[in-house]
Amino acid sequence: MHLPAGIRNYTYAQDMAIFRTKTQWVMFGGLIVLLAVVPLLMGNYWLSIFNIIGITIIAAMGLNLLTGYCGQLSIGHAGFIAVGAYTSAILTGQYGVPFIIGMLGGGLIAGLTGVLFGIPSLRVKGFYLAISTIAAQFIIMWVISQWGSVTGGYIGLNVSPAEIFGFQFTSQLSKYYLIMGICVIAVFVAKNLARTRQGRAFVAVRDNDLAAQVMGISLFRYKLLAFFVGCFFAGISGALLAHCYYGFLNPEFFSFKESILYVGMIIIGGLGTTVGPIFGVVFIRLLERLISLELVPFLESTVTALPSGWASGVTPMLFGLVIVLFLILEPRGVAHRWQMFKNSYRLWPFSY
Amino acid sequence: MADLLQYTITGITVGMVYSLIAMGFVLIWKSSGVANLALGQLVLLFSWFTYGMLAQTGLPVWLGLVVVVAFALLLGWIIERFVLRPLIAQPILSLIAVTLGMAYFIEGLCTFIWPWGVDVLPRLFPQDPIRIGTAVVSQEYLWAAGVSLLLFGALSLYFKYSRMGIAMRATADDQMAVQACGIPVTRIFSRSWMFACVMAAVGGILMSSIGGISYGLVETGMKSFSVVILGGLDSFLGAIIAGPIIGLAENLAGGYLTAYTWPGVKEIIPFIIIIIVMFIKPYGLFGESRIERI
Repeated sequence: MHLPAGIRNYTYAQDMAIFRTKTQWVMFGGLIVLLAVVPLLMGNYWLSIFNIIGITIIAAMGLNLLTGYCGQLSIGHAGFIAVGAYTSAILTGQYGVPFIIGMLGGGLIAGLTGVLFGIPSLRVKGFYLAISTIAAQFIIMWVISQWGSVTGGYIGLNVSPAEIFGFQFTSQLSKYYLIMGICVIAVFVAKNLARTRQGRAFVAVRDNDLAAQVMGISLFRYKLLAFFVGCFFAGISGALLAHCYYGFLNPEFFSFKESILYVGMIIIGGLGTTVGPIFGVVFIRLLERLISLELVPFLESTVTALPSGWASGVTPMLFGLVIVLFLILEPRGVAHRWQMFKNSYRLWPFSY
Repeated sequence: MADLLQYTITGITVGMVYSLIAMGFVLIWKSSGVANLALGQLVLLFSWFTYGMLAQTGLPVWLGLVVVVAFALLLGWIIERFVLRPLIAQPILSLIAVTLGMAYFIEGLCTFIWPWGVDVLPRLFPQDPIRIGTAVVSQEYLWAAGVSLLLFGALSLYFKYSRMGIAMRATADDQMAVQACGIPVTRIFSRSWMFACVMAAVGGILMSSIGGISYGLVETGMKSFSVVILGGLDSFLGAIIAGPIIGLAENLAGGYLTAYTWPGVKEIIPFIIIIIVMFIKPYGLFGESRIERI
């Protein structure tokens, strides 16, 4: 990483710090203030968009740890999110457990489910693993939609709003602060996990798992750890989705297409970087809202010659196109461009 | 007992169509190392295309089928040339993800052009059911099995005797050596995509003549993954044998297990088989477990 001219590190701790210059601290503080103040100026429409972005970032951070850092491709992320969402909803709804414990329980159960379906990763990788996570997605969603006595099946399940120490998060603004708080913690944890011994082990496993094993990195431990952590994040995100976004659960919210979209998000953002998923999520979720709330009704009303419902195909087509184009033109994602921009900004006016 | 015979015949015939679709996958995997996860969506696209074209243009059925095959060849060529070619020698993650993006696109395209949802193909095969022993089987199933067998035969002859077929087998074996011999590898890639698309198209037409066209066809295509996994990723023989096994397991489970579990167990059996195979014998019945070197 490039530093501006004149900045030198004299200790190892300085070299390892996330924020190394005063400007970075100021900008970080500015970001926190911005996150805290901006929602006060927004209406419910934008608040709900910010909320879904925050929730999605948590899940994408998990998938990024699993796929981007540890190299284990998972195409069943929506299934694991569903596990977290339903667990938390059932724990709080039927057993009267407080929201916080319900949410952590959702994360835990989702993590354990992830470990279960991650076991094949010890023997296979690449495409084989991708297929077994697809199978996980379908099996999980089948169980959820058929186990009607507990999950409500296709009829759905009503979820109580989040509640901490008697305070109910019912307004969009209060939900925003809850979600953003957890989201910031999640990003912080993900960023730091990637810098620890575990994170470096993940990267070693991703780059070549045989070589990693030879060096004494336990594949059993780190691959399953990656699955656990990735799916734990998914579970937390699912619990927030249930309590703070939908307030109602239906198996259709967690379709296979949603799983593909999660993979698309971290690819567009940039695999194996912490800022990447944030870019990817913001990009995809904004595009989704923009298209489905603005473009599709507009197209439907202007072009009436075509049979009704045609414009709902526009969203998936555009998403597919975006994913394919990113892979072909910029496989390292937006994060790479962002890094290039930052470097040239720091070194300006010199070229290197 | 009557039920058993019925389930067996239905299972094996449907399984043969799965085999056909799965062979398209194996073909691409063997020749270019790309895992085509858009299989289900391709099946959906070709079924809709066949239906839409036959219904809207009123072509005679035989001519319509020729058009479908031509379209499949063209689409296969386009996909290889413009999506996969730029990604040659990229990590497997990108190759899988790009087919996922394609899957998303194709499903949107189907909604975009044919937003009706569920439909039935115009009748391609005679309708009278046939009695085999005590079982009553509608003719579509037997036609499906017959067409699949015919295609298996044609393909094995092609791979055994045709110049291009032999080159394709050689590429599957050792890509570098083939390049050194002066065989254009990219042409083989595009050829395998074209063939795979034709197989997906035929499989799609057969499946939709049995069950009608709906978005469920995507899952039908996905079931072919379980055929691929069970048979082994790089084995044509494995795909041919595993298809009927999957079809059989699915229909028997649908027949006998539904009473004990939840409805829809038939749809999920292939995925459960995937997980079981992953735990016991991850490279499938006939797959080659490659030894990796650092």
